[in-house]
Amino acid sequence: MSSPSLTLPSQERPAARRRRLLEILGALAIAATYVYLVLNQPADITGGPGSASALIALSGFLAGAVLLIVAVLPTLPASTLVLIPVALVLNIVLGQFVGSTLVPFYLDAIGTVLIAVLAGPAAGAATGALSSIVWSFFNPTVLPFAAGAALIGCLAGLAARYGLFRRFYLAPVAGFVTGIIAGVVSAPVAAFVFGGTSGVATGAIVSAFRAMGDTLLAAITKQALISDPMDKAIVFTIVAILVYALPRRARQQFPFLRRHRVLAGKAPTATAEAPAQGATRDN
Amino acid sequence: MTASSPRTAAGPDRPGRLNPLTLLAAAGSTAVITTAAGSWPLSLTVIAVSLGLSAAGGTARRVVAAAAAILVPLSLSLVMLHGLFFPEGTTVLAEWGPARVTAEGLGFAGRRILQLGAVVLALLVFSFSVSVPDLVAALSARGVQGRFAFVLASTLTLLPAISARARRIRQAQESRGLVVTRGLLSRVAAFRLQAVPLVMSLVEDAGTRAAALEARGLSNAGPRTSYRQVPDSRLQRTARAVLVLAAAAALVLRLVQAGASA
Repeated sequence: MSSPSLTLPSQERPAARRRRLLEILGALAIAATYVYLVLNQPADITGGPGSASALIALSGFLAGAVLLIVAVLPTLPASTLVLIPVALVLNIVLGQFVGSTLVPFYLDAIGTVLIAVLAGPAAGAATGALSSIVWSFFNPTVLPFAAGAALIGCLAGLAARYGLFRRFYLAPVAGFVTGIIAGVVSAPVAAFVFGGTSGVATGAIVSAFRAMGDTLLAAITKQALISDPMDKAIVFTIVAILVYALPRRARQQFPFLRRHRVLAGKAPTATAEAPAQGATRDN
Repeated sequence: MTASSPRTAAGPDRPGRLNPLTLLAAAGSTAVITTAAGSWPLSLTVIAVSLGLSAAGGTARRVVAAAAAILVPLSLSLVMLHGLFFPEGTTVLAEWGPARVTAEGLGFAGRRILQLGAVVLALLVFSFSVSVPDLVAALSARGVQGRFAFVLASTLTLLPAISARARRIRQAQESRGLVVTRGLLSRVAAFRLQAVPLVMSLVEDAGTRAAALEARGLSNAGPRTSYRQVPDSRLQRTARAVLVLAAAAALVLRLVQAGASA
């Protein structure tokens, strides 16, 4: 990346390799936890709280998220690092508001997706995991969703990198796909740790599937497949509108935007009529 | 061993004088042990001890308000979900069409609510009684990334400032004639009119702050000197080690039990 220093022996290489190893370990921990939970379909899901699967879900997902933070945080440039607290506040303020209303959406990832689009998948993943950890200061129930939030940030960054934010109609599609993946990964947490969902509206949807005789994990996964893709499509659309509204001077702080040509050429008006379906929110 | 943690957490009655890491270890291991044990008498004890501690520390009102905001919707959702629809239940108490109120379902929901309530309260008592500058200093002294400490402290201080700015932007737009009606389009337009200026000003500010931090050597390698002394003692160090070991032991015990019964 940068030219090697002529005066000091370079310490960059081993440090970079160690971070890459931590990144891979974090991703592996999250993937292995999910595979274990789904394959074992623990029978003790309704056999009482304190089930071993709740502990496995908690510790596996949390360890993975922490490893990702440790790996990514030291590599971020100052312009991105300073934006992370802002993103966390946006997540918390908007998510706190929507989470308690009677809408089966969350909208708690706007800040995470914004960072991912401006600074790339690694920054997005770190922001998502950090967001859950810092938010748990006010609301400890979001802590187990750290891995899901990191995944959302990572996928949003990948979508930006491969040009899905260059056309305004592709952003909601990328959000929809991200929502499907994130919903499927987060469902075991809701099922094993909470035994349900934390909102009344999402709980009603789970109840409907339970009434048809589904198991708890199946019902919550189906609920997640209803709520999450719509939710993330709305979030990605909002972020597209916000990013295109940023003045050129603000955008130029972010080399990721320029290197991968994340945004469409020079027509920031293209997203003005983006279909923000159902983005009901007032302050 | 499982019952020892809440008592350890209850012992010292001046949380302001303790090392924040000791408080964190106490809250964290209480949460882990309660989850691992999964017995409702222990959950009730933890809830009572947490409430007593926060009352003694003078944070009871804020802790209860924050916990209620989390636990009330969660409990409603769980009672509705498991109280009405629990296909595994056998003891039917009442029945309306597809909805069956079963004793097993209500018991499951009740145990889950108590257990989550204990975890939430234990962690909230910690976060409302800890002094954030102390926590940041203690984390940095332990070699935890200064960057993580920056993110934590910066978020906690930015939260009220950004809420105030969002309010000011709304007032400004309202004085320019913004009227939010019930229609969907009007709400979307109102959201855009408020969110775009908010995010634009925040990104602008962040750029300025990044330059200032960079000029003060944020990215430089090497040790940092902290002027803040965080109280610590041998006793607290031992207590922390015991708490972490107890949590790990509870975790392993629970997993071994589950492995044996499966």
